[in-house]
Amino acid sequence: MESNMKPKLEVKNITKTFFSDKGAFQAVEDVSFQIREGEFLVLLGPGRCGKSVLLNIISGLLEQTSGAVYFNGQEIHGVNPEISMVFQKTAVMPFKTVQQNVELGLKFAGMDKKKRAEISEHYINLVGLKGFEKSYPPQLSGGMKQRVGIARAYATNPEVLIMDEPFGQLDAQTRYSMQNEILRISAEEKKTVLFVTNNIEEACSLGDRIVLLSACPARVKEIYDLNYLPKPRDIVSKEFLDIRQKISDNTDLAL
Amino acid sequence: MEKKKNSVMNIVCIILPVIAVLCIAIGWIAFSTANPRLMPGPVEVFQRFIRTFTNPVARVILPGHIWASLRRVLIGLIFAWIIGIGLGVLVGWNKKVRAVLGSVLELLRPIPPIAWIPLVIMWFGIGEFSKVFIVFIGTIFGLIVNTSAGIKLVDKINIDVGKIFGGNQRQILTEIVVPTALPSIFAGIRTSVSSGWTTVVAAEMLGAKAGLGSLVTKGWQGNDMALVLVAVISIAAIGALLSVLLSKLEKVVCPWNQI
Ligand SMILES: Nc1ncnc2c1ncn2[C@@H]1O[C@H](COP(=O)(O)OP(=O)(O)O)[C@@H](O)[C@H]1O
Ligand SMILES: [Mg+2]
Repeated sequence: MESNMKPKLEVKNITKTFFSDKGAFQAVEDVSFQIREGEFLVLLGPGRCGKSVLLNIISGLLEQTSGAVYFNGQEIHGVNPEISMVFQKTAVMPFKTVQQNVELGLKFAGMDKKKRAEISEHYINLVGLKGFEKSYPPQLSGGMKQRVGIARAYATNPEVLIMDEPFGQLDAQTRYSMQNEILRISAEEKKTVLFVTNNIEEACSLGDRIVLLSACPARVKEIYDLNYLPKPRDIVSKEFLDIRQKISDNTDLAL
Repeated sequence: MEKKKNSVMNIVCIILPVIAVLCIAIGWIAFSTANPRLMPGPVEVFQRFIRTFTNPVARVILPGHIWASLRRVLIGLIFAWIIGIGLGVLVGWNKKVRAVLGSVLELLRPIPPIAWIPLVIMWFGIGEFSKVFIVFIGTIFGLIVNTSAGIKLVDKINIDVGKIFGGNQRQILTEIVVPTALPSIFAGIRTSVSSGWTTVVAAEMLGAKAGLGSLVTKGWQGNDMALVLVAVISIAAIGALLSVLLSKLEKVVCPWNQI
């Protein structure tokens, strides 16, 4: 238990202000939280509240205005091979086959073809895309495309996985089944996961803890610990509905 | 119901082009019987076509003329593709290169390819090099602009993917940015082939020993309208053939685009 409490990733007083001709626009305001090793942490916030901006700062794609990000206790700047990402708009390459997409990070790292194929095979099976290795993404459904995105992020074997509203573009049915899939995958391949959503039920189904963000600029409103609810969770149980209601009452409306 | 409508549409789509071609043929026959001196009929043109083999024009049979034009356009295009696409990628990717070349390109691009002919002939004469160079200079600016526009349009999220998965600048460019822009690059290639083909024919009309354009001029000067028509029909047929070949090639190069 002791080692479990050590933060894998720490976000400390992150603020982000965009400056343009029209003036300054603050997207993130003094956000701090910690992600424990092996934890599935959910960031819950209304649409356009600055969630992606915050994630892009953590992943190193964007630079913060102030504050710091610590990984394994060390301050980090820029992208880090140990932090990978599943993107909001799937962002799989239409011109690469499923297998080539999954192997992207491995190819960039200069790994030879045979080794890449072994690894990609494992993760393609993990996300349930066996038999689609040679398909191109335009042939796949939205849910399958995001499975490619998930396999691609897992394939580089990072310590931390960031998922930016990965199911936001999916219909309700597919979204629900993908939530179960991500529970299964994260149980099979234990990783530290930072999962972003604007959907309260999704947050309550998946999160070990939930960091609730305010409307723009994003601030931490409250942090909820849901570890007392074992997974997979019964979404009509009293405890589930209670915590869901509690968070719902505390949530800002999207602008 | 949907299906039935679709199959009716399909039949219409097959029949309409046939009707269009028939209309042209009937119009041609009608016009040529009314004015046989201005417009030779299909039979006469076909006989003239056969005679281009038995009785070579300027000691070259028709396929030789076709090859002369094709070779010029291909050599010019290959250079234009390599240099134009290369420069286009640089202009689209690198802000500094864009700052240097951008305004020059905006100035040169609207010049129609044919407008280069008198200039190039003045610079380099009417030899073989001039004709190849006219194709090159007439198509390269369109290629640069099409390519760089495609590169600039690449969604930022795709570049972010490249960064997250550890790609360096070169890897992101070759593995993500250029393939994403490939459909635009191909659109540029398609335009370059059609404009290159018309340009080379126009250049040949001003003077060449062989080539379809020179055939047009020889027929015109010798008052041999049938020969002019043989050349014009060949120009159209080869142009159409090139465009069919190109769409086949696009299916091979961009297989994901046809799904
Ligand atoms: N590069 C940028 N420049 C200026 N404003 C930005 C930039 N990126 C995001 N924003 C603004 O920040 C706000 C939050 O965006 P985002 O983080 O994408 O929201 P979400 O919570 O839905 O992911 C939006 O109003 C957006 O317009
Ligand atoms: Mg977002």
